[in-house]
Amino acid sequence: MGLALVLPPRLVLIFLIILPAITAVVETLRPPGGSGFALTNYAHILGNRILRSDIRFSIVVTVVSVAVTFSLSYPLALYLRFNTGRLPALLAVLFTIPLFVPVVIASFAMITFLVNHGMVSTILYRLGIERFPALVYNATGIVVTEVWTTIPFAVLILGAGLQAIDDALIDSARDVGAGALRTFVSIILPLNATPTLITLTLLFIGIFGSFTIPYLVGGNAPQMLGVTMTNYLTQYLRRTESVTIAVIAFIIAAAVGAIYVASVGRRERQNL
Amino acid sequence: MSLSAAPAAAGGAPWYWAIGGLRRALGLGAFLALAAFILGPLLTLLVWAFAGAWLFPNLLPEFSLKWWYYVLGNADVDKAIRMSFLSAPIATLFSAVICIPAAYAFARLEFPGRRVLLLSFLCANAFPKIGLYVSIATLFYHLNLMDTFAGVVLIQVVNTILFMIWIPTGTFRGINRNLEEAARDVGAGPLRTFFHITLPIAVPGLIVAALFAFLAAFDEAQGTLIVGTPNHITMPVMMYTLVLSYAQPVGAVFSVLLSLPSLVFLLLAQRYLRAGYLAAGYSL
Repeated sequence: MGLALVLPPRLVLIFLIILPAITAVVETLRPPGGSGFALTNYAHILGNRILRSDIRFSIVVTVVSVAVTFSLSYPLALYLRFNTGRLPALLAVLFTIPLFVPVVIASFAMITFLVNHGMVSTILYRLGIERFPALVYNATGIVVTEVWTTIPFAVLILGAGLQAIDDALIDSARDVGAGALRTFVSIILPLNATPTLITLTLLFIGIFGSFTIPYLVGGNAPQMLGVTMTNYLTQYLRRTESVTIAVIAFIIAAAVGAIYVASVGRRERQNL
Repeated sequence: MSLSAAPAAAGGAPWYWAIGGLRRALGLGAFLALAAFILGPLLTLLVWAFAGAWLFPNLLPEFSLKWWYYVLGNADVDKAIRMSFLSAPIATLFSAVICIPAAYAFARLEFPGRRVLLLSFLCANAFPKIGLYVSIATLFYHLNLMDTFAGVVLIQVVNTILFMIWIPTGTFRGINRNLEEAARDVGAGPLRTFFHITLPIAVPGLIVAALFAFLAAFDEAQGTLIVGTPNHITMPVMMYTLVLSYAQPVGAVFSVLLSLPSLVFLLLAQRYLRAGYLAAGYSL
């Protein structure tokens, strides 16, 4: 009965995710023009200096974006968890706004905001600052836009984790004389470790695989892998190369995803 | 589970009371900075949508509605709007029909491999979307699904599945079993119990799931760009062209149009969102 009910979405999962992934991997293992299996395509991609710099660029931009998002989101989630009143209520509405803005629009809004002679540059000009580094069509633009779009997601997951911590635990720590910092380090931080790990890995995977933001807000080269593989498919019409880059991105993300699955799995076991 | 315990420390001074003043001042500063960061780009975009010409370094443009006439009179835009409003609801409905029964099974029924299966839906989300789309395109080439309406809908369904499985599973799991058992005790069959007891209680959670699924389908751009070009263009895909090769006000006007569904849904669903379903959906 249960198996029958979960069959339809399972078929979608197999048909649209697992099967395409396997087909793709098999395709990339075929050497060009030959038969049998070989790693020729991978050697070709990894031997390309431009593609190597794209891989490095993707990882660096992703790590910086995750770090900035996280260091903004964690204090915000903490603040919302332990404060009530009009300001926290307003903040709670404010931080969810990007969740309802399509990524394409967020990227375009960011361009109009940050571009040379855009809003920020106009305000800086009025304040007498005329020379500053370009804010958009480069890595800075990608990071700022990624942070803008991922803050709600990070705050929500971290907040849900913090919400689950019993007030009684915190109060009793305070009762036996623990300071705010001590309470945070020895009670809140360890109890919130799993949601924190989930947030970090999901942020990494989401940003690493993003396409729209680097495509619109990023520069020409180096670019993030999402843009590179799309260009190979739609501009250069080289499907095998495109899929090979996709598999390399899969492998990098899967390594990080393993952490995520392991920590979610542990939670699931506790909940069931 | 612990949503009811949300308001912190009622009665008595909370533990952070001693540094409350500092906290409030910091809070206000942070609030203003965050407000500028989050609202700044959106407000700039909104002003651009009503700008005739905006010359540097003026803080405001000359206002004009001429770009609205230009965008709304464009046949390609019209076609993209129609494509979006046809494909996204179909994808959401399809996803709801196949996922909600499955979510109920995940929450209530025992079957072998349940945990692994539930996790496998999360794993699908653990891979970069764009890599997945390129692979799906490979499969669609063989199946002649490239540049078809069905292909576009299927790509959108991929984006909705996670929301439609995980949020309803959490919702069903949160419903008190005793209510269902009481209905069964007085002689209601399993179907009757589901439709008269379980489903009505689950409705708010299901609405939130459907809302997120719809927005995920409606906003899908990367996959549709690959699978739907050149004849099946949705609004977000159209947006790429507008951003890259038209005057800024054109993109701005189109952005406002594209945001309308999200805005309407946000207002309609606010009651449920406030009730904490949003956070509940993410607490996994």
